[in-house]
Amino acid sequence: MVEVKNLTKRYGSNLALDGVSFTVEEGTIVGFLGPNGAGKSTTMNIVTGYLSATSGSVTVFGKNILDEPNEVKKLIGYLPELPPLYQDMTVKEYLNFMYELKKVSLPREKHLKEICSLTKIENVYNRLIGNLSKGYRQRVGIAQALLGNPPVLILDEPTVGLDPKQIIEIRSLITSLGRNHTVILSSHILSEVQAVCQRIIVINNGKVVADGGTDTLAHDLSQDHRLILRLEAPEREAVHAIRELEHVVDVYSLGEKEPGVFELSVESTPDADVRKPLFALLARRGWPMMALKNTDLTLEDLFLRLTSSDSFTQEPVRSEEPEEIKAIHRGRLNIDIEELIQSSQEEEEQETQTEEKGEEDHESDI
Amino acid sequence: MRAIFKRELRAYFASPIGYVCVAALAAIYGFEYYGVVMYTHSTSYISYVYSSMFSFCMIVIPIITMRSMSDDQKNKTDQALLTAPVGTVSIVLGKFFSSFFVYFIASTLGLLPAVAVTFLGSPSWGVILGNYIGTLLYGGAMVSIGVFISSLTVSQVIAAIGTFAVAVFLMLMDNLASGLSSQWLTAIVNWISFNSRYTPFAQGLFDLSSVVFFLSVMAIFVFLTARKLESRRWN
Repeated sequence: MVEVKNLTKRYGSNLALDGVSFTVEEGTIVGFLGPNGAGKSTTMNIVTGYLSATSGSVTVFGKNILDEPNEVKKLIGYLPELPPLYQDMTVKEYLNFMYELKKVSLPREKHLKEICSLTKIENVYNRLIGNLSKGYRQRVGIAQALLGNPPVLILDEPTVGLDPKQIIEIRSLITSLGRNHTVILSSHILSEVQAVCQRIIVINNGKVVADGGTDTLAHDLSQDHRLILRLEAPEREAVHAIRELEHVVDVYSLGEKEPGVFELSVESTPDADVRKPLFALLARRGWPMMALKNTDLTLEDLFLRLTSSDSFTQEPVRSEEPEEIKAIHRGRLNIDIEELIQSSQEEEEQETQTEEKGEEDHESDI
Repeated sequence: MRAIFKRELRAYFASPIGYVCVAALAAIYGFEYYGVVMYTHSTSYISYVYSSMFSFCMIVIPIITMRSMSDDQKNKTDQALLTAPVGTVSIVLGKFFSSFFVYFIASTLGLLPAVAVTFLGSPSWGVILGNYIGTLLYGGAMVSIGVFISSLTVSQVIAAIGTFAVAVFLMLMDNLASGLSSQWLTAIVNWISFNSRYTPFAQGLFDLSSVVFFLSVMAIFVFLTARKLESRRWN
């Protein structure tokens, strides 16, 4: 278990971290998300004892990094942003050196072999690190972090420089490690975080701006219960019929998307699921449903939203926060989303207008 | 500490730098023995060999120590060392001993001409060993200073030039002392001077106060380097 409390780090007048707090339970994979310079690496460097915080505390399994640095360091395997590799050593020499440096007590030959096969570096085992490609260096870096089977793994952008196949391999490795390790990984590749992590901590300008489960964070933050429905039906009639349904707040058309097929926006009350009654209605009327999707923020939207808008850097958004606070965040988000929708609608309208105009022109040509 | 010592020593001999420094010093030892002892046909001049070796050692040591701490900082490998369960003092000691060991090999090889001379004459081994121990002591002190200076910069060149400047200053200090008018300043300079501390050993004497002096210099600079390493965490 890793517990970080009120971490503050100052580089001269530059405040790199400002009151960062989070707790990571055993056996979870947490993604650290943020733009460049947000404070991800600084946080990781402090947790691993490479840097010291200006204030705040870090405890790993109840041990404070300042009081028992060597004990804590034994519990952590760390892959820094730039793998700390000695170019003038072979992989074998390097791993043996790290094995001794970390005072690992597991049977040496067997343990090294295991780690090499896990990270798939057996075929470069006797090669000089300086001659390895970036992908292999990254893997040697991961192998180094795994030495001694530390219960906590901290990986700073572990898949940087790898090819797509390797990325998938490393991700599945991390996922499998996550079963019996606590893993904190940083990334600015959102799909990676979404694929691997159970929980996301978004950090921006040295502050935690969001913290929650991968699945729930986007949902909780958006709180925008709208469905986008595409169906083949008379437009006006369909809008009226759906508006009659229970829990439906508002329905409006987004225009004709295919010949005879209209797209509708269906807004429902929060915590109500209108998909079933909606389906039943359409089935009764014999209107084929062509598409149905919800408008939850994707992780990309969420990320951009959290890291670009200044209003969100003020206080962290947590999915486990009390209802009142959530509601405040919701309110804020709803405003933004409504604005977004309006602007996108306007754009669409303009588009359709120009399309229509174009068609008219075409007709007149004939 | 042992792991770091082994790694650093391997690094010295994985690149030409270790071989070059050892070979250069061993060659100069040979040349000095040839030029002084063989040429004059007298083993009583062995102290002269060692006193001229003093300057050469002071010049070669900066090259041995220049990469010691700076390289790690530049290649970010210090992250591996500082996040491993070892204290900063043992990191620095590992580095210090590996640099010192290179110098130790060179100095020990410098005994070979003396062995050769033994077949031809009867040199005083008391004087030779006294000089040898003295050489190791001031060398160790200089190595610790070099390691400290290399921890101040990420550039090997700056570390080498900085250490070289300090070495030259220490070498020329005695000339400085004679030019000073104030008596207590002269006393201080003489007290610090590596050369005057080394003189008893050149005569084959084992001067305890000088031994303590050189060991203290080593301890102080190893400590300072460890503090410097530690301080990097705070800024």
